[in-house]
Amino acid sequence: MTRTVGAVKAGPAAAAPAAVRKPQVRYGASTVVAVAALALVAVGIGWSVAIGPTHLGIGTIVRSVLVGGDSTDAAIVHGIRLPRVILAALVGASCAVAGVIMQAVTANSLGAPEILGVNAGAAFVAVASLTFATGLSSVSLVPLAMIGAAICGILVMVTAGLGRGRTDPVRIVLAGVTLTTVIFSVMQAMIILVDPSTSSLFHWLVGGVNVGTWSDSRTILPWTVIGLVGAMAIAGKLNILGLGEDLARGLGIRVGQVRVLGSVLVIILAGASVAVAGPITFVGLVVPHIVRKLVGINHYVLIPLCALVGADMLIYADIASRYINPPSEVPSGVVTAFIGAPFFIYLARRQKGDQ
Amino acid sequence: MTAIATAPAPAPAPAVRTRHLTPERRRRMLLAGVGVACVVMTLVSLMVGAVTYSPADVWHAVTGSGQGEGGFVITHFHLPRMLLCWVVGIGLAVSGGVMQGVIRNPLAAPNIVGVTHGAGLAAILVVHVLPTMPSSLIPVAAFAGGQLSIVVVYAAAYRRGASPARLALVGVAVGALCNAGILFLLVRYPLNSSAALTWLAGSLYARDMSSFWQILPWVAVLVPLLLHYAHRLDTLGLGDDLAAGLGEPVERTRLITLFLSVTLASAVVASAGTIGFVGLVAPHIARRLVGGRHLTYLPVAGLVGALLMLVADTIARGADPPLELPCGLITSVIGAPYFLYLLTKTGKAGGR
Repeated sequence: MTRTVGAVKAGPAAAAPAAVRKPQVRYGASTVVAVAALALVAVGIGWSVAIGPTHLGIGTIVRSVLVGGDSTDAAIVHGIRLPRVILAALVGASCAVAGVIMQAVTANSLGAPEILGVNAGAAFVAVASLTFATGLSSVSLVPLAMIGAAICGILVMVTAGLGRGRTDPVRIVLAGVTLTTVIFSVMQAMIILVDPSTSSLFHWLVGGVNVGTWSDSRTILPWTVIGLVGAMAIAGKLNILGLGEDLARGLGIRVGQVRVLGSVLVIILAGASVAVAGPITFVGLVVPHIVRKLVGINHYVLIPLCALVGADMLIYADIASRYINPPSEVPSGVVTAFIGAPFFIYLARRQKGDQ
Repeated sequence: MTAIATAPAPAPAPAVRTRHLTPERRRRMLLAGVGVACVVMTLVSLMVGAVTYSPADVWHAVTGSGQGEGGFVITHFHLPRMLLCWVVGIGLAVSGGVMQGVIRNPLAAPNIVGVTHGAGLAAILVVHVLPTMPSSLIPVAAFAGGQLSIVVVYAAAYRRGASPARLALVGVAVGALCNAGILFLLVRYPLNSSAALTWLAGSLYARDMSSFWQILPWVAVLVPLLLHYAHRLDTLGLGDDLAAGLGEPVERTRLITLFLSVTLASAVVASAGTIGFVGLVAPHIARRLVGGRHLTYLPVAGLVGALLMLVADTIARGADPPLELPCGLITSVIGAPYFLYLLTKTGKAGGR
């Protein structure tokens, strides 16, 4: 019996053969969510550009963006604030889409890249390469991070018994978390041994977009686009997979193929976002749940909305990171963890017993 | 030698004359091997350090005969760490073994279910927020933090009883939350973070007898107490329904044993720092050696845990003297491959 934890809330649709058709789209709710998320992105970008050590007014921002010029304010907007918020949006979207794909592929409501060790693997390979070859650019880190993500992702999924029709959600989560713990303890030790005073390496323990640059955004943009397009391309198959593995097989879906495709997309999205922003936790776990609750389980709607809401979450986490401890900043990964961990507890409480 | 006496002596090595090894005999030999290795590593750990001494020096230093060199170094630096390795190893391994029984998951361990992170957060909070406090307060705070985190975990997982699955998942979440807090403090107070990172990595660097005396009473009291519950843990392992049918007050036993094992783990972590994977790996090795009955395998787990710690700490001191590696790193590096092997093995079995 395959669990379709992700689709549990869909009610009888998962069981009744009569419901073997496209999951209904809640057009009204979807439109509202889309408009609200877009509005939040717009407001968030403005807010994020405005605040910091020097506060900028709306007029200054608009002038800097439209006219440019070489005033200090324009330099701040173009050189520091805009790249940072754009990066936050791209990374947030990537993490959220990676999360929604992974939850569908693993049929596990707790299956997110940060839980299952994918992010940790990416960060580890990045740190290891940086300690052995200093001065690597984020562009060359991307493939390395993807390799790390792939290794750890495959390791966790294979060991947790995926693909044999048995996925115990607790088991897979514990496997992923244990792997993450191993990796982070080794990473901490590496940081101590290399140079405990360089806080730049802390970046790999907890992600953040504080030091985001245009080149970071340029690095991640193509991968985000590939991931999103790819996700939309397999959205229909993910929908059918949500009905349960046996039913999906009966409907002629090559389950293994969809899983491999989905995993590749997860690795691309997670690897690229870790390479530019470090391991950001809980965006990939929380966002798909919220969006699913609002608009239902149709992936054609779910995926783009997750991208938008994910961008929102990281933009606002980044804004909050500047308010928590002024004048210095908290990594945005810490903020998302503070939001996400209680949410994880809520999800864990909804799990059935393991009998 | 007192520390060795706290762990039961391993089965004596049978006189091996015949060449074929029955599984039983092989098992006994392995067990004897663990015992011998413990003794040898205890000796080696007394010898190795920034300066390495001969076994004869160790003998003279321990008997206090006044001959040989390095008497002061051995008794004041090497001996406390050797003893510390024993209590830390026993404490973590027994605690981990009980948790695996209670949560009924082979992957449960203090550093997975949030206890270690809770203790770590409290310790670092004290270091940074109350810098004028005496450093003897750190173990107290870490202890309280570990206890508090399991209270939170249990309360959050409670829903008409705390199912093992929910305990594990909520533990993971609370651990993540505490970890975020730790990282926040590390970033917030970067000047002190080097010391905090060293504690987090679980280094036994420059520990003296006081750490040992801090941990010893907890191990001496809680390990026998947990062994007292060994039979009930076996019953619990049958599943909630069956255990209840056998007259076991499931929820109460679970709460008590969980609380005791967490107390043990927080006491150890508080004084020794976050040492990973001993609590995860040692019970597994022990179960393979002597089977799954708690009464037999918990003591063996303690022995294996002590052995792991002795090996790790000796490597940490001896690999690159006078520089010292954090012991927790070594236990992770030793423990991680074994853990991965374990995962693939249980993965093949296709779940519980």
